[in-house]
Amino acid sequence: MGNKQTIFTAEQLDAYQDCTFFTRKEILRLFHRYRDLAPQLVPLDYTSKPDVKLPYELITSMPELKDNPFRQRIAEVFSEDGEGNMTLDDFLDMFSVLSEMAPRDLKAYYAFKIYDFNDDDYICKSDLEKTLTRLTRNELTPEEVRLVCEKVMDEADLDNDGRLSLEDFQHMIARAPDFLR
Amino acid sequence: MEWNLSGRGTDRSSGYQYHYPDSESLRSRTSSHSYSRPPYPPRAQGEHSPGDETGEGVKALRELPLCLAQKRILSKVSQMKIPVVTKWQSWKLSKSKSMKKLGEEVKEASHYLKLWRKALLKIGENGGEGLFQWERTEVRDCFNQGKQRLVIGTGRRDWERGEGGLVALLSNPSPSVSLPCSLTPLPLSLPGPAECLHYNPSPQGLVYFYSYLLDLLSGTGFMELSALFYGYYQNSEVGVSSQFSYNVPLAYLLTCLFYILLSLTWIVLRSGSGFKLAVVTGDGDLSSYSMSVFCGWDFGLEGEQAARLKQNSIRYELQVELEEDDLRRNAASRTLAQRVCLYTLRGVLNLLVVGLILAAFYCIYRASEQSSILQEDPSVKDNFFLLLLVQYLPSIVITAANFLVPTLCDIIIRFERYSMTMQIKLTLIRLTSLGVLLYSLWNQITCGGEPHESACRPCEYNYAQYPANSLHSCSQCWETRVGQEMYKLMIFDFITGVVVILLVEFPRRMLVDHCSCKPLQLWGRQEFVVPENVLGLVYAQTVVWTGAFFCPFLPLINTVKFILLFYFKKLTLFQNCRPASRTFRSSTSNFFFLLVLLLGLGLACVPLGYSVAVIHPSFGCGPFRSLRHMWDVVPQSLTSLPKTAQSFFNFLGSQAFAVPLFLLSCLVFSYMAAMASVYGNNVAQLKAQLKLEGRDKQFLVKRISELTPANQKKSAGPSGSVVDISETRELWE
Repeated sequence: MGNKQTIFTAEQLDAYQDCTFFTRKEILRLFHRYRDLAPQLVPLDYTSKPDVKLPYELITSMPELKDNPFRQRIAEVFSEDGEGNMTLDDFLDMFSVLSEMAPRDLKAYYAFKIYDFNDDDYICKSDLEKTLTRLTRNELTPEEVRLVCEKVMDEADLDNDGRLSLEDFQHMIARAPDFLR
Repeated sequence: MEWNLSGRGTDRSSGYQYHYPDSESLRSRTSSHSYSRPPYPPRAQGEHSPGDETGEGVKALRELPLCLAQKRILSKVSQMKIPVVTKWQSWKLSKSKSMKKLGEEVKEASHYLKLWRKALLKIGENGGEGLFQWERTEVRDCFNQGKQRLVIGTGRRDWERGEGGLVALLSNPSPSVSLPCSLTPLPLSLPGPAECLHYNPSPQGLVYFYSYLLDLLSGTGFMELSALFYGYYQNSEVGVSSQFSYNVPLAYLLTCLFYILLSLTWIVLRSGSGFKLAVVTGDGDLSSYSMSVFCGWDFGLEGEQAARLKQNSIRYELQVELEEDDLRRNAASRTLAQRVCLYTLRGVLNLLVVGLILAAFYCIYRASEQSSILQEDPSVKDNFFLLLLVQYLPSIVITAANFLVPTLCDIIIRFERYSMTMQIKLTLIRLTSLGVLLYSLWNQITCGGEPHESACRPCEYNYAQYPANSLHSCSQCWETRVGQEMYKLMIFDFITGVVVILLVEFPRRMLVDHCSCKPLQLWGRQEFVVPENVLGLVYAQTVVWTGAFFCPFLPLINTVKFILLFYFKKLTLFQNCRPASRTFRSSTSNFFFLLVLLLGLGLACVPLGYSVAVIHPSFGCGPFRSLRHMWDVVPQSLTSLPKTAQSFFNFLGSQAFAVPLFLLSCLVFSYMAAMASVYGNNVAQLKAQLKLEGRDKQFLVKRISELTPANQKKSAGPSGSVVDISETRELWE
């Protein structure tokens, strides 16, 4: 296969291939998606490793993320600065984890981080409530929200500390065959 | 987030310790997490063995939960540690690297060959995963089955090309006809009575123009004489060379058996993984809320409408769960009087359901009988539409029963106040309707199993029902008759599917969209309910399996039918349907559907086995006409093998082999059962241990937090942490 593209050096492409689950073609396609969000900001030549960040609003305007209720958290988790502004590396990383080829453990790890709204490495009651409201678009009554949160805590909290740690979460995910998307 | 400012980071998840400059430390996301133990077992170890640089090392790198910059550094570091390898090992490494690259290229190329990939992706985007899985099941089903049969059937067809000119050949192939391959009929071991030998399905006298259409739809006339049906094949050997000849009857039987075995293997393999899942998630009821909350969202969904629908469905699911919990609590607190009431109600409704099912069975049975009687009625024969109706009568009744009975049962079940598991019973109803049709056919063909009844006496099957002079009879070839019934069922299934889409769903959508009266709006657009569609597929596949022996090209036609039906359903899905308000959990249901498919296969094997082993094959047609039973061709061919092979096969079939085999299987089975119970115990113990460790951890954390303020009064600064650790050590000792 000819190395006809001039966007990345061969080593860069190889490194991307090793670090993500994508093939060369997919990486190039993703680069063009990234660039299409802001053509004037993103140069066509990445061989010199320019430091370009796309703001949060542009990232979340992508059709894949636009209607996702967790788009803000996804952008925050995968971005360097924690604010949602992503470089190309972050962008590729995000899609690599969200792709079909990523293993369940990796996805579970990132899912835990996404649902952990206050970033304290535990999913506490307030995190759960926020998750639930975003999932159901605020259409459950407060009483129902409280009940569901209680039930989830009962089911998943193994060490009984009132919040879900990563181990509890992974243990629960291990029994969920539907998780992979 | 704590930023690691010291410039020396320990990434606990990989077990590496490396030094990276301050600017990069700001990017560290993982080092801020203080875990008591690393969530990932360290895969890429500090010491490299030569094999690590290849697939395993790369695989481990991809799966680490680090940001890309850190991964790049890791890979650079690991590359810098050049392992000392011999020439052989380095050659092996480079070869395995290029093989991996080749494998990836092949995978990319084969991506394009995957059938309907784009269509399925589009469906998955809009309707979520359940539909995606359904479509994939259908795709795989039809393609695998059709492919196998095509390969097998075409192979056999080639041999019979020599007989192309003999389409109208009757029971005695005349040796005077010249053929490219030498065709020798196998000797008739049983001279059959004259009236049984006669078989002439070609139409006599004046043929109406519509008869060709009728023949196409019901498999009679010109269709009957084609390779489509059993009756076409001869009981001959096709001589390839002087030493080797192709035994058609044996080939026919073995091809069919091989097809059934292949289907069985394929189903078992596919359900293997599903079975593991079903066992692991066996106590899924206990974590249904957490599943809904954490696994409910489909991150692949696009579009505002789809997202809103998904949110609605999650909300609905949660509300239903809460309601069911309420119900359960109420049920537990019922008084005796209420319970008695409920049980009598349930008993009555069960009787009603059983009565309904029996009524359906009786209707199917009568329809099948009447169909064959009415076909010979002269007043019916002259009218094209009446004749078509009569021919299709069993199919019509079965389809009507398959539609009405589950709907009525659904309504009745709502009064019983059960929670969900009625789908299984309804599936069984659908499959047993097919069973009833087969029973009625058997009854007619074998005169109810009495070979000495007057209608059956000469030929041991009911030849009199198919007199030679009728225009469109299936004339004394009962296997072809069975094949025709299955063919008709399949065609009718396809026609109903298409007609329902065109004449029911499209108008419904148009009415709902353009007419704004209340009842119509309440009725709403068609919902695409996945379980019903999959069960329809299972039913169709069962019909194909039953008919495969009697109508060899049925699987091929079925493949074409499935492909067309896929496009029709896709059309109706996007144009007419709204997604179901109840979500469909695909993975657990996958196993259930495969189980039902297996059940269908089992049901299909019963008539096959019975026909092969018990019923006398037709004297006038087919490749087994000279034999007492169809199975007899196998022992006969075995006699032509060398002595040792014969004795080996005899041994395999004898009791000396079967009994030890049975005992061995029992042993293996009991061993597996014992292992399963041991593992179950292990799992329960591990769960309890997890809980205990959680409590221990809490205790320790409390102790540490109690001690830390006391310590911080004593000493300030970084040494505080050192004192903590020593205090903790004291606790342990």
